[in-house]
Formats: sequence, C-alpha cells, structure tokens
Amino acid sequence: MTHPFTYARPVSIAEASERLGAPGARAMGGGTDLLSQLQRGIRPADEVVDVRSAVPAGILAAGPGIRIGAATRIADVARDPDVIARFGALAQASAAVASPQLREMGTVAGNLCQAVRCWYFRHPDLTCWLRGGETCYAQIGDHRKHGLEPGDCISVAPSDLAAALLALDAVVTTDRRDGFPLADLYRKASAENRSTLALEQGELIVAVTVPVAPEASAYARAGERAAWSFALCGVAAARFAGGTRLAAIGVSNLPRLLDPADPLAGLPGLEMTGWKRGMLQALAEDALAAVA
Amino acid sequence: MARLVRSQVEMEGRYEERWTLVEDDTTPEYGDDDELAVVGGPHPRISAAARVSGSARFISDIAPQGVTHAAVLRSPHANARVTSLDLAAAAALPGVRAVIGPGDLPDQGGRPVLTDVPAYAGAAVAAVAADTEEAAERALAALAPAWEPLGFVVDLDEGLARQDFISDPAETERGDVDAALAGAAAVVEAEYRTGAQVQNPLETHCAVAMWEAGTLTLWSSTQGIFAARDELASAYDLEPDDVRVLCEYMGGGFGGKQGAGPEGFMAAELARRSGRPVRLVYSRAEENITAGHRAPTVQTYRIGADADGLLAGIESSAVIGVGVHGWVFPVLNPAETLYACENVRSMVLPVKLNLGFSNAFRAPGVMEGTFGFEQVIDELALELGIDPLEIRLRNAATVEQASGNPYTSKHLEACQRRAAELAGWTERDALRSDGRVRRGMGLASQIWWGGGGPPAHAAVRLGKTARPTLVCGFQDIGTGTMTACAVIVAEALGVEVGAVRVQAGDTARSGYGPTSGGSMTLASVAPAVRSAAHDVRTQLLELASDMYEIAASDLVLSGGAISSRDGTLRHEITEITSLLGNSSLVGHGSRGPNPDGMRIHTFGCQVAQVAVDTRTGAVTVERICAVHDVGRIINSMGAMSQVTGGVLQGVGFALTEERVVDPTTGTVVNAGLEDYKVPTMADTPEIVCEFIDSPDPHLGLGIKGLGEPPIIPTAAAIGNAIAHATGVRMRQAPYTPRRVLEALA
Repeated sequence: MTHPFTYARPVSIAEASERLGAPGARAMGGGTDLLSQLQRGIRPADEVVDVRSAVPAGILAAGPGIRIGAATRIADVARDPDVIARFGALAQASAAVASPQLREMGTVAGNLCQAVRCWYFRHPDLTCWLRGGETCYAQIGDHRKHGLEPGDCISVAPSDLAAALLALDAVVTTDRRDGFPLADLYRKASAENRSTLALEQGELIVAVTVPVAPEASAYARAGERAAWSFALCGVAAARFAGGTRLAAIGVSNLPRLLDPADPLAGLPGLEMTGWKRGMLQALAEDALAAVA
Repeated sequence: MARLVRSQVEMEGRYEERWTLVEDDTTPEYGDDDELAVVGGPHPRISAAARVSGSARFISDIAPQGVTHAAVLRSPHANARVTSLDLAAAAALPGVRAVIGPGDLPDQGGRPVLTDVPAYAGAAVAAVAADTEEAAERALAALAPAWEPLGFVVDLDEGLARQDFISDPAETERGDVDAALAGAAAVVEAEYRTGAQVQNPLETHCAVAMWEAGTLTLWSSTQGIFAARDELASAYDLEPDDVRVLCEYMGGGFGGKQGAGPEGFMAAELARRSGRPVRLVYSRAEENITAGHRAPTVQTYRIGADADGLLAGIESSAVIGVGVHGWVFPVLNPAETLYACENVRSMVLPVKLNLGFSNAFRAPGVMEGTFGFEQVIDELALELGIDPLEIRLRNAATVEQASGNPYTSKHLEACQRRAAELAGWTERDALRSDGRVRRGMGLASQIWWGGGGPPAHAAVRLGKTARPTLVCGFQDIGTGTMTACAVIVAEALGVEVGAVRVQAGDTARSGYGPTSGGSMTLASVAPAVRSAAHDVRTQLLELASDMYEIAASDLVLSGGAISSRDGTLRHEITEITSLLGNSSLVGHGSRGPNPDGMRIHTFGCQVAQVAVDTRTGAVTVERICAVHDVGRIINSMGAMSQVTGGVLQGVGFALTEERVVDPTTGTVVNAGLEDYKVPTMADTPEIVCEFIDSPDPHLGLGIKGLGEPPIIPTAAAIGNAIAHATGVRMRQAPYTPRRVLEALA
C-alpha cells in the first residue's frame, strides 16, 4: 500500500529547501521515477516537494560554457541548438533517454538523482541491501544486466545525462554549494548510509554548468530495444585541449570516469556480466573515435 | 433445415466429436465472375473514430453508479501455506463492502480461485471490495496474513529432474524412426530453448459485476462472452440467460483472456455479497505474474534426410514449463505436420513449477515449436549443402501428415516462393560481410488450423433508413471482426461499409457466437453473417420485384440503389425501405458444417533480414516479407494489420521478451513494462505483406482465420537470418545482446 503523503509546490529555493529539510520529505522533478518508487514502497515519503517552481529551468550560455537550470526538461536539452552544436554528448544522451513522453516530463536534476533500476531494488516484496536490508539479492540471483564491479551492491548507475556531463567535466550548483564537480554528487552507499547521492538533507540542485565547451564530444550507448530502455552501457567522450575525458554508466554503482587507454581497468565483471566488458570496450572505442 | 449432427470440432489442433446443431447454408458463394464491390478491399475499422476520440468504452472504463473497487491479496512466496488471515478485521474497516477468502468462491474449472495453499508468488488468497481504491488497499493490509513458506521449484531443468508432471508425458509415433535415422545420409541433433512470453495486452484483465434481482451482469474483457456466461451460470446455478456478459471494446487479449477468468469470479462474488457493482482491474504487475503466459520450453530434435534432402525421420521432444497448472499446447506439431515425413516420433513432457499458470498466447505451442523446428531444418539444409528454400519445397506435404486426410486447400509452396521473391532471396549471400555489422537473411514457414466451424448465428435487420444492423454473438478482441462483418453485410445489400451498424459482444442481444481463439472467429461467423444478409437481400429484391414489376433475378443491389441488369431502371433502396414504417426486414443466418474427411489449415512463409552488431550484440530486424495463405481476404487493411501485429509480437519473442524468475525467491523480477520489454514502434521492421487470396473451395466464403498465423514463423526466420549473418547458430530465445555476445565470444 502506498504510504500517504502530502504534496507541496514551493515557489522559492528557500521554501523548497526548508520543506526538504524535514525527515520524510522527498524532492520531485517530473516525477517519472519518484512516483513509481513510492508506489512500490521504496523510501516512502511523508511529503513530496515538487521543486519545479522553485529552481530555474532553461539553458543559458555562460562564457565559453553553458548553464542548465535544474528543472530544465530533458527534451528541452535534447533540442537546444547550442547544446546540439557545442555539447554533442549531452544532446545525444538527452535524446536517448526513455521515450518522448518521459523526456517531456523528466528534468535534468531528476535524471541525475534517479535511483538505480535494479529489479531487486524495485521489487515490491523484497528489501534489498541498498534499500536498507541485509541481502544483495542480485549477487545470489539473476544479475545478467548488472555491473562489472564487485561490491556490497552491484546495481548500476542509470543516468545517461550523468555520463555525458561527467565526460564534459560539468559542475553542480546547489542552494548551499557552488560549482563542485559532478562526480562529487555521488557517493558509494555504505552500511551506515545506503544513499548513492552525496547531498545533505534538504540540499537542492539549482543548476549544472559545463564551464568550457569541448572541442568535440559524443555519446555511445546500447539499450535492449530501440526506445524506452535504460542503457546496458553508455559511454561519453569529450575532447578538450588538455586531453580526452571518457565516462560510463551501466557498469558500476556510480557514473564512472574511464581511462581512455584502458577503459576496462578495475571492471573485472561478475559471473553473469562478463559479456558487458566487450560491449563497454566497443562503446568506448566508438565514443573515442567520434571525438578523434 | 436445422439438424443435429455428430461433427468434428477443432480448437487449436485438438479435435473432438460433438453433437452440433447445424443448418445447411444454401447461400450461393460469390461467383468467380462477380465483381465484388467491397469484399477484399481496404477498409478502416468502423470503430476508428470512436477509438481515436476516446468515446469507445473499454471494460476498464465501465463504472456503474455506486461502483466499488476490488483488490486482491496475493502470496509473495513461491510456495506457502497461509497460517492466519483476519477477514473480519478487513471487513470492519470503513468503506469496505465485502471480503472473501479461501473457500468463499465457487471453484473455477475444478480449481479454487482463492486458496490458503498458494503455490506460486502471485496466487490469490483473498479479495476485498471497498468504496475507494485506497480503502481496498487498507483492507488488504488489515488482512494481516501470516505465511509458512514451503519449498519450491521454478527452474525448468530442476522440474524435469524431479519428474513432477502436470500430466503424464505423452509419446506419439508413426513409421519407424530409428531405422529411418540409421539409414539417413545426414542427421542433425540440436536443443532449442524458448522463454516465457507474457501477453501483456494494453488493457489488463478486468471485469465489472453487478447483480439485480437475482440476475448477474458482467462486463468482462474476455475473448469468450458465452463461455463466461456459461461458467458463471453454472457456478451460481442460474439459467444461462440470467447471466448477461458484455464486451463491446477490449484492449487486447492475445489468447490470455478466456471465459470469465478469476477476475470475473471474484468480481461476481464480491458484488453478490456487497449488493453493489464491483470493478476489478488487474495491475500491470498482476498481469505479468498471474494472468498467464506462453510457457517456456526445451526442445530437442534429431532429424535425418537422404542426400537429396528428403526427410527420412524426425525425432523430437519438448519439455514444457507449464507452471502451477495450464493447458499443454502442441509444441511439436510443426515437427509432426509441417513437412512430409513418414517416420516421426515425438514426446511431450509438461513440467509442473511453482510459477503462475500458462495459457494460450497467440499460436500457443506452435509458435515456439516452429522456432526450434524451422531452425533445425536450416541446420539440416546447411549440413547437406542444400538451399533452405529448396529443402522446404522438396519436402512439401500433399496430405495432412498426422491424419493422412487431404487439405481443403494448401498454397504453402506458393507462399514460400513469393516471400523469397519479395525478399530477394537469391541475392541473399551478397548481404554478408566480415565487418562489424553482419547482415543475413533467413526464412521460416507456418502451419496452423483456423477453419472455424459451427455453431454461429447472425441476424440482419433493415429498416426505413436502409442502414442495416447486424446482430451477432462474437466479441471483437481488437482483430477487426466487426469491420469485416460490416464489409460482408455491405456487399450483400449494396450499401456503404460505414452504413452498417454492428451489435456484438452482448450475450443478451444475440444468438451464440464462438470464443475468439484458434483463429476461428471470422471463419465461424462470417458465413452466418453473409447468410443473414443474403436473406434480407432476397426479401428486399422480392419487394422491389413486386413494386417495379420486374423479375427479382433481373435486379442488382449496389451503390445504395436497386437497378435492373440492363440499366434501364434505378431506384434508391430507401424508396422501398421508407415504406416499411416501423417494420423491418429481418434475415437470419447460421454457420454450415465443415467438410467431412478433410483437414483445414492455414499456411504462410516469412523471410527476415537482420543486421547484427557483433561488438554490441544488438540485433536489428530490418525487414520481414510475409506471405500467408488464409483463403479469401475480406478486408485487406484489417488483414495487413493482423500481420503487422503478429510480426511485431514475433520480433518481441525473438529479441526482447522474456519473463525472468529469481532463483532464490522464486518470484518474477521483471513484472512490468519497464523490464519486460515488448517492442516499441522504433523496433518495428519494414513489413512487406501479401496474401495468396485464393478462396478455399470447401469452406463458406472461402475464408480461414488469420489471428495466429502471422506470429508463428517470425522468430524462427530471425534465428535463421542471424545464423546466416554470423555463421553462428544460436539456439535460445530471446536473442538479447548478452546472448549474442556470449555466443560470438
């Protein structure tokens, strides 16, 4: 049974932040992930705080880079001429998300903060380790689509946008911190804290900035079907004057920066996921070739 | 004249002798020279505007005044005993109108609908009806069930090892297989595996029940309104006509919605106890775990041929993971009947598992059996160095192989040749390359039943506005039966298709119509519809003959007018019908018997062209060329729509669709449309579709069914195309990136 919750739509960052400071409050962008979590009893909310009227939406040129409001819809990123022209990896990753309907609802910050898609984490009748339980059912069960990295939890980072923005060396601005690297938005879940997000209670993403446009960037992904499929693997490459950054999702808990010379380093594969190593290698080569 | 005859009745390959009331249908067939005005042409659905405007009321849209909402308590355990259940606590909650538990419902098909020994995760234990969906959810929580988990088996190989069967393994044999294989020039052996495929219709299983003065009305998303009526009448000891079942619009069934279903039984009982209408709509998760599916199989084949490729012997076995219960479908029928072979042995082993029941899914058994058998035929062709098309043509069957009876008609070889021609088969090796993306082409053929049969009845009324109304006892499960029947009426009465009103899907309004299954709906009802329309036509022409003083045989009906053959006389039909006042011309028709001593089958062939990315494992189906032989085509647009849908579900079976069961907990982990992946529009290949369109000379109207045939060969053709492209034979569906990469590694 869905735990009853109230709904609030604050119109200022201050009010949103205050509401989100309460235990049991959860932030919502487009709601495409949050509502399905609540229906399944995953991290039940007492209050859903819809932040879309509180944080900015829209894409602004910012010097040599670009600043994207947290509430910007994914579809708006995918069709933005400047993003398409100068930040190809981000445009391609945005266009690859889910389906047209979900892209019109989903927000950039929501996409970055979405929970993993592991079918045990999402199971209505199981409480897995990541949900606060004792067992990672995936490791003793069917993990054919899971990660390449051993650990307490073998689910994989799902956000296409995170791969692109990590390769693009993006920084995140919240209501209380300015411009920290995207990688620091994420943390490994631990026995004491099972969250994969490194935000404080009530902390709210305001914008994501790519400080400098790359010379070239691209995103390569493989899904299970041609639309509405989370990536089995997604790899973004961005070539800057100082070198090329390569980042992947679908292979480990968190969006992962890869070594362009050895993308598989540290990713040995698990019993049922060895096949993903070949896929990752191929997509890394594709992405690198596209920016060469 | 009506008579009772002992007649052979077929449903999805199962034949039984049954007393059947038949009327000889004396309606003349369409003559060879007749210029048909609308039959065979492309016609949009007569319900198209209602569907796209949202005014069509599907079952899940039905909400009588005072309706209450039902919810079902289901076991989270793969096997368990319920040790406590507090029905009274749930019933005491505000807004809760009825609560039922184990033992409170009549059995359905000899099985309890609610059980305290749930033998799979998802089995129904109790059900509630409440004023709101939220109150129903609270009532479920108040039931506070306690479970004693029991051991379970969900793995097919483990189930086979335990020899726990649904029914005894059955072997059939003709000829001497061992001797034939010992003397064969080439023998191939292979094991194929197929996954569980879930129907996942857009509209989940649902029913709305309402009792009034001791009679029951059930709106049911069902493929069999009369079957549902009879099940409920029997369960409640009512006259059949004291139960009215309606299904005007439904959002798909694909075989999985037979009769009243557990949802109909639960809704009916909750409505009886609460005295209020009850609406029960399955969630998508319920649809995936407890509404049926195509059972997974392990198929083994040993087949041999002489040096020319003529089949010498076929030995096959199929282990079927039926689930907790279910029908055993003819997985090995393609091996037994698709090609000519005198020496055939087959063994079916239906295994019981702690998983939801399996049921019919579009060409049950035969589709998954074709996946294996039509690939083994390719393996044999490769072994012998014979072209896959050629080996099939050489082994063409001229009589039905299991019975030795003649076919009423068979154009399989024409389908094979034409599909190959459309696909560019002779140039197929030019597609191949050593690059990262490999292209290839493969074909597969199809045999199915689909003759339909009696009983089926129809009535046509024509009143003052000359817009005919057809009343018939079928339900249109989305296949376009209503439109096809309107075409037939329009043809007989010379009016526009859109002028015909079709009243179907209501047991109270019509005589009996068959369950929509086995591709038999249109083949069963269309002759009755034509007969009824012809009856009205005859009456109308008699009135015209009298009024215009011209022989009825000199009159024709077309374009809304009655004309003389020589063209000198022409009157709008309404000139006569407007004189009818409150009277109507009423015609009746009934389905005649099928011919004795013959077998009715549909055939077809599909050629698939695929591209395989050898680095990512992605398989793209680029093109399917489909040619099917289903007798006369009534509505070419509707027929092509059936082929498109069948091909798309075949693509899903081949590439993405597979129920995944967790080995540790025995629960389904992908019980939803996110992880259970049906193809999207972006996955749809180019589909080139043709029909032989040759009326069957032994059947009324010359038509056979088309619902199931187009799904049958698609996945096998894709498998053969992948093998052609990559040089590697992959024997397990679906062909996910993981399986492809593992096979190519």
